[in-house]
Amino acid sequence: MKAFVIEKNNMKKLLQRFLEEYTVFGPNKPGPDSTFDEIKSIEQLHLDYVSTVLPPKKFFLPPKENLFSFDIKNGKFTIKQITSNEKILIFGIHPCDVHALLKLDKIFSGNFNDHYYQKRRKNTVIVALNCVEPSENSFCKSMQTGPFLNEGYDILLTDIGTNYLLEIGTATGQRLVNGLNFKNASKVDFQEKERRFKLMDKKFKKSMNTSWLPKIARENLDHNVWLDLADHGDVAGSFPCLSCGSCTFVCPTCYCYDIYDTMDLSLTSGTRNRELDSCQLLEYAEVALGGNFRRDRKDRIRHWMLCKFGAAAGGLNSSCVGCGRCIRVCPSKIDITEVAKTLRRD
Amino acid sequence: MINEYVPNLAIIKKIIKETHNTNTYFLEFLDKKLQKSFSFIPGQFMMYSVFGAGESAISLSDIDNNNAITTTIRNVGSVTNSILNLKEGESIGIRGPYGAGWPFNEMKGKNVLIVAGGMGIAPLRGVITYIKKQRNDFGHLEIIYGARTPDDMIFKYEFGNWKRIKNTRLDLTADAIPVNSPFECKSGLVTSCFPSIKANHKNSIVLLCGPELMIRYAAKCLETIGFKDNQIYLSLERRMKCGIGKCGHCQIGLKYVCRDGPVFNYTDIKPFIHPL
Repeated sequence: MKAFVIEKNNMKKLLQRFLEEYTVFGPNKPGPDSTFDEIKSIEQLHLDYVSTVLPPKKFFLPPKENLFSFDIKNGKFTIKQITSNEKILIFGIHPCDVHALLKLDKIFSGNFNDHYYQKRRKNTVIVALNCVEPSENSFCKSMQTGPFLNEGYDILLTDIGTNYLLEIGTATGQRLVNGLNFKNASKVDFQEKERRFKLMDKKFKKSMNTSWLPKIARENLDHNVWLDLADHGDVAGSFPCLSCGSCTFVCPTCYCYDIYDTMDLSLTSGTRNRELDSCQLLEYAEVALGGNFRRDRKDRIRHWMLCKFGAAAGGLNSSCVGCGRCIRVCPSKIDITEVAKTLRRD
Repeated sequence: MINEYVPNLAIIKKIIKETHNTNTYFLEFLDKKLQKSFSFIPGQFMMYSVFGAGESAISLSDIDNNNAITTTIRNVGSVTNSILNLKEGESIGIRGPYGAGWPFNEMKGKNVLIVAGGMGIAPLRGVITYIKKQRNDFGHLEIIYGARTPDDMIFKYEFGNWKRIKNTRLDLTADAIPVNSPFECKSGLVTSCFPSIKANHKNSIVLLCGPELMIRYAAKCLETIGFKDNQIYLSLERRMKCGIGKCGHCQIGLKYVCRDGPVFNYTDIKPFIHPL
């Protein structure tokens, strides 16, 4: 596929092109607490961001959405499907988050397609941005999901100094840069990309050894670390888990959701809603008549860790991508990389 | 693209009262084409919607009945309570069937031992009906069915028919039997019927369904009396939101109950149901 170089102060031209066809979302402020927000002008776009609080899964699996609405008249039901055809473009999504989307793609396809997820995914253009400055909590290198990207993008940008290297991944990507007259990329530009990739190697502060990790996790269901995480604290300086569910909310590969109905006041119409759920909440594994398969906090935190280690039903499709968001938001300072180390007895 | 989340409307054709809180429903899709093409394997389940109350995963409880969709529902929560308030002629949303059914290919030519507790007999009734129809394809049939009290037993009107099936033994047991109960059954847990099991260990398949606690102990007891893990099949239950392996709620170990089950071979699920 083709590659171009684009001067940093020429990014306006690229954004203008995107805005002609798409609603564009991108990081709206620098630093680790950025947000993917709607971008209407180049001043709003901050490609120097470190991470966002919420991952881009919010565009495909929104925290809350309506699946369909229904009317009840004389005991008869009519169902009206709700689907959106909005075309969006995500500008500046990091490799870890792209890998998370590739994993979610697998969860939401298979024998049964998830209509809502797939439709949104099809209507979205991914303009990815390679990471040249990792956040203090990220460990994408150990998870092989970063810091540079090889797949899953329509357009890929890399900061190579005064320019961005722009690589095309799909026909859609090519169509979007046609006619913009960017200079073709040279060998030197790719050498600079390679140099920056090598520089990144030494910048990571965290790591996680994943070899045999799913098997180790599965075979250590009664390891002390689970009770420590839940009740005693002090897994590398952590406090006991509060079961607040923040980790699952910010995790780019956490896909669990709840479905429930709401009725309007007249009791003649209503909607079926889907809302993100969390395995850390007590109600998650509840069944009829008050039964609960994960009543203990220990069982819930263990379930989440196993899921992120690739040892739950989602397998590697729900496993960690090393973005470090859960470490940043955890009020009890629980660090998934430290849990893995304790489990491995490293 | 087919939207798997949108239920199809069905009409309640007939309701049979099973116990004070359990009914059997015969449903038919409003869409005639859908009704004609509908087929399932006993052990599979459907998602039932009462709009405004929500959706629940419940097994299909018999085959045939003029191709009606048969399901037996006990009032244990808000959705099932709403279903029990519905009358004949009213409509309900259904989608499915989903999941894996009972292993009929494995059962062919072998003795079949059915162990069910409470509502656990519902997904197994289709198996009994099937064996009755294709009697020569299967060996000896044994049904052990237990409930809290004789009154809590469902399909009581079928017991006579089941006993009359050639080469079949029915063993009924209840935890507590009230004085003057007109009903004839033993007292005790299903496991108390195990010493009188006739099926030999070598050429039998065991089908197990009921409350999870019962399943765990019954499976352990069956192991003790000589059945091998891979001879035992069991049907598990979890709360499900999607039924199609996406929402995550029914995860048990490495399996989704909705996608990989609800019928599992004991070998596959054993490491997960015992310690947890």
